[in-house]
Amino acid sequence: MNAFRFLPALGKAAVLLVFTGFVLGPLTVAVFGGFKTNGELRVNPFGIPQQWDFEFYAAMLGDPAFWRYMGNSLIISLLTVFLTLIVSAAAAYVFAQIRFLGSRMMQAYLLAGLVFPFATAILPLFIKVRDLGLLDSYWAVILPQTAFGLSLSIMLFKTFFEQLPKDLFEAAHVEGCGYVRFFWQFTLPLSTPILATVGVFVFVQSWNNFLLPLVVINSRELFTWPLGMMQFRGEYLSEWNRTLAFISLTILPAVAFFIAAQKYIVAGLTGGAVKG
Amino acid sequence: MKFSGLTMLGAASLLATLLASTAFADVTVHVLRPEVPNTEKAYHQKMVADFEKSHPGVDIAFEYIANEAYKQKLTTLLQSDQKPDLIFSWAGGVLAQQAKAGVLQDISASVTSDWSASIANAGLSAFTIDGKVYGMPVNASDVVFWTNLDLAKKAGVDPESIKTWDDFLAAVKKAKEAGVTPIMVGGKDKWPLHFYYGYLWVREAGKDGMAAAMGGKGDGFAAAPFVKAGEDFKNLVDLQPFEPGFMDTTFEQATGQFGDGKALFHLMGDWEYGTEKQNSVSGKGIPDDKLGTIRFPAVQGGAGEATDTFGGINGYAVIAGAPPEAVEFLKYMTDAENQKLAGAQGLFIPIAKGVDESIANPFFRKMSEALAVSKFHQIFLDQALGSDVGATVTDVAADLAQGVVTPEAAAKTVQDAWSMR
Amino acid sequence: MKMTELAAPGLAPSIRSRGRFTSQTSALLLMLPPALVLFTLFVALPLFDAAYYSLFKWDGYGTPTDFIGLDNFKQALGHAVFWQAVRNTLIVLAVSVFVQLPIALGLALLIYEKTPANTLFRLIFFLPFILAEVASGLIWSFVFDGNTGVAAALFHALGMEPVFILADRHWAFAAITLVVVWKYFGFHMMIYIAALQGVPKEMLEAARLEGAGRWAIVRHVQVPMIASAIGVSVFFSIVGSLQLFDVVIPLTNGGPSNSTHTIVTYLYTFGLTRTRIGFGSAVGVMLFVAAVAFAVLYQRQISKGSRS
Repeated sequence: MNAFRFLPALGKAAVLLVFTGFVLGPLTVAVFGGFKTNGELRVNPFGIPQQWDFEFYAAMLGDPAFWRYMGNSLIISLLTVFLTLIVSAAAAYVFAQIRFLGSRMMQAYLLAGLVFPFATAILPLFIKVRDLGLLDSYWAVILPQTAFGLSLSIMLFKTFFEQLPKDLFEAAHVEGCGYVRFFWQFTLPLSTPILATVGVFVFVQSWNNFLLPLVVINSRELFTWPLGMMQFRGEYLSEWNRTLAFISLTILPAVAFFIAAQKYIVAGLTGGAVKG
Repeated sequence: MKFSGLTMLGAASLLATLLASTAFADVTVHVLRPEVPNTEKAYHQKMVADFEKSHPGVDIAFEYIANEAYKQKLTTLLQSDQKPDLIFSWAGGVLAQQAKAGVLQDISASVTSDWSASIANAGLSAFTIDGKVYGMPVNASDVVFWTNLDLAKKAGVDPESIKTWDDFLAAVKKAKEAGVTPIMVGGKDKWPLHFYYGYLWVREAGKDGMAAAMGGKGDGFAAAPFVKAGEDFKNLVDLQPFEPGFMDTTFEQATGQFGDGKALFHLMGDWEYGTEKQNSVSGKGIPDDKLGTIRFPAVQGGAGEATDTFGGINGYAVIAGAPPEAVEFLKYMTDAENQKLAGAQGLFIPIAKGVDESIANPFFRKMSEALAVSKFHQIFLDQALGSDVGATVTDVAADLAQGVVTPEAAAKTVQDAWSMR
Repeated sequence: MKMTELAAPGLAPSIRSRGRFTSQTSALLLMLPPALVLFTLFVALPLFDAAYYSLFKWDGYGTPTDFIGLDNFKQALGHAVFWQAVRNTLIVLAVSVFVQLPIALGLALLIYEKTPANTLFRLIFFLPFILAEVASGLIWSFVFDGNTGVAAALFHALGMEPVFILADRHWAFAAITLVVVWKYFGFHMMIYIAALQGVPKEMLEAARLEGAGRWAIVRHVQVPMIASAIGVSVFFSIVGSLQLFDVVIPLTNGGPSNSTHTIVTYLYTFGLTRTRIGFGSAVGVMLFVAAVAFAVLYQRQISKGSRS
């Protein structure tokens, strides 16, 4: 560390702190808001609470309905992630590894989903889900979400798989390892970073999805948290503090999921594979 | 026995409920409606308990969902096999749309003369489309100027003396001079602004003019009275009467700020009474003795009567395929005793005839009396004209309030939407 | 990619043994159908349905019967609000690509190395992306509130009258783009970080030994090495902009006077909420066609770029 190094470090710290403020400012508003009475929220929405009122958070955490909403969201999100990763990685692997007739057309077909706005599809989608007899079930949300996530995930996976060293497969093939087995044994384990990235993305999309569950889920036992929040805001029409406490708590699972995945994203991209 | 007593008990009670639901409840009536305060839920539960007692084998299940979600869900829900039997309805064009689509049940045959005679005419006709009855009303709502009497004093305005639109404009000027914000409005939601435009329509065009426009006669909604209504509204807007940033204020915020004493007037329905208290910082709102209501003023030369009212008629529509018990329960909800109870508890303004006496809340009683003498009650335009044209009206009302459209263009926009519907 | 030049790409066709062929076939039969079936069922078929509905005047109840040909399309193209929505969508697109991505790349370069502090910053910057759109909109409404918000405090400190940003036809959309950047830059940053960590350390070392400065390394080693990630991220930004919806609804709901619609909020507001399913579908179809056209052009550019 010499004087030359010092200035950039200072600049770097300043930049990072400015962005941290930009990002965290609004978020602290939400977290603190959950500790304020409604009156204080209107008068002092941004400051530190004059008195820390744990009542609203406690009310949320003590509400079985809240846990049910969270549980439903978690089940739906995790299943969506799992299904999306398996289905799209498999398809992307085929596109990346095998040249066959119609491959390009199929890829173009699957990529068309990228540019198809969900809102346009909502009514036809509802009719489709209804005709398949899936209404009011977890699958009514999971399957369409997975389908809409495919385009993007396949694109990301394919980009990644194409960068994996090719000689690895040749070596494995000489050993008598087929495509499918190679996918399971080598490709997926080497792909943790991209699996984590896509996984986080799909999880977040699912976790926050509102329009689809709204239309295909009717019974309150299956409500996801955004539906629960809507319901909740209807019940406590103007009690913003409760809503903010609710929101703050719903961020936690997504954060936890991200922290868990972070480890893998940080894992080396081609850790030792080339040396083998 | 390795099982704990608790598990056994749980299993036993589960079995009991299963048996109970199959053995005794032959039919379940599902009622779906937007969220209401707990007091009203308790009122529903009481009706349900009483009804189930006198009708063994019938289960009534009330289901509540948040207001906006309810509107968004209805189209799809009514086409699934999980559709409810009774749905809350604001009547008007949306109800007509549903009737046309065949998702509602024509209950004319079940509506006996004594039943129809017990309901106010305006209410019954709101649920009648092409001579067929599809539901029944339970309450009416009425839009008035809620007035903060302390601020009126401060501004030197006597609310009771405001009879005409010009009087009202003068009062607004006076308030501004005294440094009082004349009007609170939740412009972000748009529909509160359409109360002005819509009420002025009713005042300028009157019953016949409204009917002519809806029937597509002459210039329809582009006719002179509707343009004139836009000009009346513009005269108000030119005075800049609203709170600063009114287009970024939601109804909830506006009603809360009115409760905090931030403005002299708030044009709103009967529900304002509860919400201005609930949403205010103090949670108490304006004390009753400092709160007043005045009727929407008359306009000079308008075809409408000063007694004409503008508001809602709410009730329940019966869904196609619903069991007869659903109609039975609907009848029970509109029964005079139940209506009186709602009036006594100050839940809403009941619509059954002859229950005015039971209304305890003085503000509601005043409205109920106004509704009783009204010869023409116009339903909220965003409901009456159907979802599409209704949204167009609230849009142009907001544009007028911001001065970005002329009264002529506003009227023409509505007429275009109406003729294209 | 320099790394793969070690492998022999010409090798593959020469050993097209039977074993490889059967292995390929079984992979095709096993690994493609799930994606194709799901996609066809829930994306492609509803898209065809929407195309069909777009030819009808239909309120979503029952089945469409009132055939009106291309009237829905004509109506949309003759509607000033539609064009405003197109303009707004293009603005978001420009801001996403030319403001958001450089920010994301700059931050990624600052914190891609594995240190505990960087991990924390990464989490912080990623937080808005995790937050539900509905919630973000709500919180930012607070921030922009002219009565009590940060904006109000700022104007107050400057001794100015408060400006109600979201109620102001000139500023409301700028505010929306700010929220869009706030919400999504962390995601793009993560893409870049993942890619930057894949750049072999040896290359950076070699560049350093040759005396390249920090900027030279960024410009000539790191950025070229993550070109494909940047491509993905640009594509993402554009597709995301074309579909922007959830953030706008809680912030302005398309207002004031329909000045802040994006194409999707426009089709949602004028199609779904007003129960004009046919009309909404028509707008959706136009958006889809425009987006496909863009994707094809983009693809061409990319393949041109990679050939040169």
